[in-house]
Amino acid sequence: MKYIKTLLILILTAALMIGINGCGKKGHPQLKVGVLLPLTGSMANFGEMERNAFELAKAKINAERAKAGMDSIQFIYEDDTGKPDVGRAAMEKLINVNKVLMVTGGYSSSVTFTAAAVAQQYRTPFLVNTGSVDKITEPEAFNLTTNDGDKFYIYRLNPPVSEYASGLEGLLAEVVKPKSVFIIHENTAFGTKGAKAFQKSADKLGIKVLGVQSYSSGTIDFKPLLSQVKKANPDLVYMISYVMDAAQIMKQARELNLKPKLFVGAGAGFTMPAFKENAGVASRRVCSATLWHKALPIKGAKEFNDAFIAKYGGDGPDYHGAEAYSAAFVVDNVLKRCKGKYDKETVKKALDATDMMTVFGPVKFQAYGKKIHQNKMATYVVQWIHGDLKLIWPKNLANAQFEYPINWDKIWAE
Amino acid sequence: MAKKSTKDTALVSKKEWMIILGLVVLPFVFNFSTYVQGLLVIMMIWVMLGTSWNLLAGYTGLVSFGHAAYFGIGAYTGGLLFFHFHISPWWGLLLGGPAAVILGYLLGIMVFRLRGPYFALGTLASAEILRIVFGEEEWLTNGHNGILYITTWTTKYPYYFIGLVLALGSIFTVKAVMRAKAGYYFLSIREDEDAAQALGIDTMKYKNISTVLSTFWAGTAGAFYMIYMGFIDPEVVFALHNISIITILVGIIGGVGTIWGPALGAAVMVFVQEFFRSAFFGLAPSWVSRLHALAFGLLVIFVILYLAGGIVGDWDIIRKALRFKRKTEIAE
Amino acid sequence: MELFLQTLVAGTLIGGLYAIIGIGMTLIMGVMGIINLAHGQILMVAMYITWVLWQYLGIDPYIGIIVAVPVVFYLGEGITKYLLHPLMEKDSIIPENQVLMTVGIGMVLVELVRSIFSSDYRSVQTSYTESIWRIGHISLSVPMVIAFVVALLLTLGLFLLLIRTDLGRSIRATAQDKDAAILMGVSAEKITILTFGIGSALTAAAGSLFLPIYYLYPDLGPIFTVKAFVITILGGLGSTVGAIAGGLVLGIAETFGATYISMGYRDAVGLVIFLLVLIFFPGGLKRLTKI
Repeated sequence: MKYIKTLLILILTAALMIGINGCGKKGHPQLKVGVLLPLTGSMANFGEMERNAFELAKAKINAERAKAGMDSIQFIYEDDTGKPDVGRAAMEKLINVNKVLMVTGGYSSSVTFTAAAVAQQYRTPFLVNTGSVDKITEPEAFNLTTNDGDKFYIYRLNPPVSEYASGLEGLLAEVVKPKSVFIIHENTAFGTKGAKAFQKSADKLGIKVLGVQSYSSGTIDFKPLLSQVKKANPDLVYMISYVMDAAQIMKQARELNLKPKLFVGAGAGFTMPAFKENAGVASRRVCSATLWHKALPIKGAKEFNDAFIAKYGGDGPDYHGAEAYSAAFVVDNVLKRCKGKYDKETVKKALDATDMMTVFGPVKFQAYGKKIHQNKMATYVVQWIHGDLKLIWPKNLANAQFEYPINWDKIWAE
Repeated sequence: MAKKSTKDTALVSKKEWMIILGLVVLPFVFNFSTYVQGLLVIMMIWVMLGTSWNLLAGYTGLVSFGHAAYFGIGAYTGGLLFFHFHISPWWGLLLGGPAAVILGYLLGIMVFRLRGPYFALGTLASAEILRIVFGEEEWLTNGHNGILYITTWTTKYPYYFIGLVLALGSIFTVKAVMRAKAGYYFLSIREDEDAAQALGIDTMKYKNISTVLSTFWAGTAGAFYMIYMGFIDPEVVFALHNISIITILVGIIGGVGTIWGPALGAAVMVFVQEFFRSAFFGLAPSWVSRLHALAFGLLVIFVILYLAGGIVGDWDIIRKALRFKRKTEIAE
Repeated sequence: MELFLQTLVAGTLIGGLYAIIGIGMTLIMGVMGIINLAHGQILMVAMYITWVLWQYLGIDPYIGIIVAVPVVFYLGEGITKYLLHPLMEKDSIIPENQVLMTVGIGMVLVELVRSIFSSDYRSVQTSYTESIWRIGHISLSVPMVIAFVVALLLTLGLFLLLIRTDLGRSIRATAQDKDAAILMGVSAEKITILTFGIGSALTAAAGSLFLPIYYLYPDLGPIFTVKAFVITILGGLGSTVGAIAGGLVLGIAETFGATYISMGYRDAVGLVIFLLVLIFFPGGLKRLTKI
């Protein structure tokens, strides 16, 4: 009896494993590209937008490829749920089970970084399009040096978080001229690194940092933190937050009558339509750093924005959508340049040689400072004006006059 | 079954040798994808955690709701050595267990004053406090940035065998101690602590022994997790739901107070979840894959309601339900 | 001084919210002796009910209480009747089986909600979500003040129910000595089920009041479960007055911790108080108030 029991358990387990082994082994004639995104969990808002953008791009790319008689591209989405450990497993699955040629996507900094370590280990090219913590494209973090470009498989389309505020610096230096700043950030890799980077910017501009405080995502009551900010009375409040926290912070800042000269967000939550919806009145005149805007004079930017709205409705994409859309076209371009030789090394070589234009701006992977395979680009500043996200800086590209100084009493009262 | 095990004279019975042999040859018989290999390694970690929890809760009656504290300390022992001194986190495998034991002892001073549900809540709160502290003290732990370590091997078989050895180590530690005198004292504490004390058993001493053994394996599991995953942050390794609670459920499903129960529970937990996540190996429509956590939750409710002893503890009930018409009477 | 006052006000208001979440749990723990780890999930379900009413039928969240409370009351009764009560008669190796059952129930509730509504964040926007009262330099959020007042009223109501009515006397009798209560002709099963129902219904009211202040996603429960525990232990098991006092103490302590120590340690403050009370002052504030 005992043996039968054991045997039965063993057989059942074995059957289960063979079953799992079997799945995902169906052959596809298409070119398989993995996409790592948070499709559920607290960052699902962003993941959803990026997936939509990838799908929009795919339709266009594959139509062209069909016309030219080329193999079509298949995006395989894996949900990282915004958690680093899940992200690692998802990356392994894409590489080992789905046998993808390369991977793109990568939303939150910590997930992207841990997933990048996996991609690097399996020598699979990973084109990051959103994950922004600096070390992702620093070979040092992966036990390599900047001379090891041929051994480094990570590439990044978007600027690192330390450069998010570069566009903002101009606005601050020329227009706002703040004397002091208070930095509020989420206690994640993205938040802490972003806060450190802005402290450096502030030092450079001669702005005094009155305080740096972190909070954990999902906080109900920001009032203790905001009361502290109010007491410090800074000219500028700089916030690094995802969308729901961003809305709560602004709502409660209004409640407390916290009136600095300017509220500035570091991208992420502050440019999302959901921010405006949830913060309501309190979203008015909030500024944010951004990496893209539909009004930028880039070929295809407006068309992308219109096509996105036509297909998915709503207020259109913010920079996250543009990053994803462009990543899809970079993938297409890279695979074309593989000239029918589809293996990871060829893909990597093609990535190295990338020099193209996308709706997100020019893409070329360069080496500078501690980084290699990093695309360099400008960043911009947007402001919520009359319910719309307007591009206000740099001045020569702006589609709206920025509002400054701001009379908060009047703006918030309406 | 659990009661009978005392009759066996050898520490490792014939049947157990068979299971061990089966697990050793398993990777050689089947050509698993790295993905399945990964699941097997994760399973080994859960076997360790579940077994460790079971010694404390199932045999000694100290139902811990904060096993993540020991797991996390174990993981961070290796992690911090690597982060601060660039020492290989493999040393964590040696030191993670002892570090968890020290923590367990310190926490024990506090929470052993508490009984029953209050003990459960006390352990839960301790683990949560540790999670917050490890997130905030960035100078020490790198905070929420976590600690990344490029893993030693890309192939998973070495991890599988190391994990297997550790998991078996935890299981036979429990078996050995439960065969010794201490085991009887544990059980007497579980059944009635006051009576045990009245009979002259130094309950504090035996609670501590149980804690030392339990926390050692929980810490070792954490250290192994660090080496295998190559990334830890406080939200992952000190998680209330994903570590502390799942550990308990692993024990409950397999069978509280049985030697092999938590091991089976770990296997069931990992593979049932994966069974659903892969939408029955791709046979069912893909929306099924979203139900993996729901399926596990329902399984938990079912087991508690109908199989209070878990799969191993209530095997007889399962067998009857399945109408296993075998020569049971003779075999017994 | 202004910072101090504002912190005190914010702490008091959030404390009122905590209290109303904790009051349902103190009743359940006090009478049934069950640690309900699905408490936050029940709150979450109530919030989703209120949200659905607002989103699809345009019903104001405060009016939504009228629907959410009875629905969740029956949900609570159903859970006890079919899932928790059967365990009471069963022998199991560890007595914590009921606690673990609530874990399973919590998981199922979260995943059911997730499969229906996905993990997206939801929120309601009403005319009053953004309104503010100002007294001097101190500002008060209107929905928070409303929640605070209702919390006090509900506590008072529950207090009167427990003290003045036969039902209340039966509940208190069961809590004090179950066997004696049964001998006196109280149906312990009925009381247990009813108590869980009432406890859940109070939590549901908290959820509806809470929706205009916060937002909503399936995983929101555990934070509040932990808060409810802290309050229950702090206030003393089964003590309604204790729950209000416990909620206020927790809210104020947390807020002062966040203002004067560090925002990051906010949640740790409550947990430390919790451990201290558990170890050095078992019985909580109830030992002082006696009710």
